Amino acid sequence: MDEEDRVTPCDVTTGFFVLGHCGRPAVAGCPSCGKPVCAHHAGPDGLCPECADRLAGGPASPYDPRWARGYRRTYYSESSRAYNDTTWYSSFDDYDRGGFDAGGDYSFGGGDFGDGDGDFGGDFVDS
Amino acid sequence: MLAVFWRKQRAAIEGFHPLHQALVHQQGFSVSLPPADWRALVASLAQHQAHVKRRKWRLPERVPLVLVPLIQVLTEDMRGKATLSIAADLRGPDAPGKAGPQQRLPARRPVRSVAQWYAVDPWLRIRAELRDGSVLDVEVVDRVRYRKIHKVNSRGKHKWKTKTKTVRRIAVTRRIAKGAAVARPSAPPPRWIRTRVKSGERTVVQATAKVLANYPEAQLPQQILQVSTETFRWTRRTA
Repeated sequence: MDEEDRVTPCDVTTGFFVLGHCGRPAVAGCPSCGKPVCAHHAGPDGLCPECADRLAGGPASPYDPRWARGYRRTYYSESSRAYNDTTWYSSFDDYDRGGFDAGGDYSFGGGDFGDGDGDFGGDFVDS
Repeated sequence: MLAVFWRKQRAAIEGFHPLHQALVHQQGFSVSLPPADWRALVASLAQHQAHVKRRKWRLPERVPLVLVPLIQVLTEDMRGKATLSIAADLRGPDAPGKAGPQQRLPARRPVRSVAQWYAVDPWLRIRAELRDGSVLDVEVVDRVRYRKIHKVNSRGKHKWKTKTKTVRRIAVTRRIAKGAAVARPSAPPPRWIRTRVKSGERTVVQATAKVLANYPEAQLPQQILQVSTETFRWTRRTA
């Protein structure tokens, strides 16, 4: 196995409707949940964005660049109730959980960083 | 001489993003930009409240309520070179050119006359190229009915009253990427959302909703996102 194969990818979930994993090389594990986090997503205390948002109570202003990420979980929960479709929200949770299970159906290898790659094959999942 | 007044706020506005300035002065814009440029606009808009207090230069209410949240949500789902196009006209339904012809309705005393007209206000149109290869179109149109009633009482006192009723149409169309698997969701959408699906090389899912606009404006982005959600449920990946 060469060096490149052993790099742990960042497991932060990206997107709002079209979910994916960041996939950049992780530099640390989140001290709260243990998720591998890249330099781009690591907070001041090394926390992953989800844990940082949870501890801060979520970004209040929509002007905050992190707002959509914090709002995503709330919105999925609300829309799941509005649609009376529990699988809508549970599939999102499964996806997040899949990040901890390398062989799971919801884990992805490619990552979605490197904007404009033009390859839409397998590094994202529809919500 | 007039330039003496509000010079600090005027200077602050001149330093804002050009689209931010367009929102202040024209209450709208129509432009296509990559996500990074939209984020620059949002960063500029975030400075507005701190630097500009004058009522005349206030941002339209729907900028922080609708426009900014939708930009934030859609850019999350886009790649760097994709384009997000937004045509926003936040002048409101009373702006010139939006009102249709007036018609007179029958009236009986003490009402002397009733004039009715409609204004059609397509105030938001968005097209986003998403990272899964699909293209999302969002359109929000307000149709406002105006009724101007003229009353004269027995002592000859005149009163005019104008009543409005707004019906909002939210239409979201998603052209799914070629070859993507499409499956009917397990549960139907809420009754207020209507879905149409057109099969083909690129499946098109359209969700529309017609709602009375008698709820707080703060719920607007959530309502637009709820209609959008329906178009994404058709391509949900199942375990």
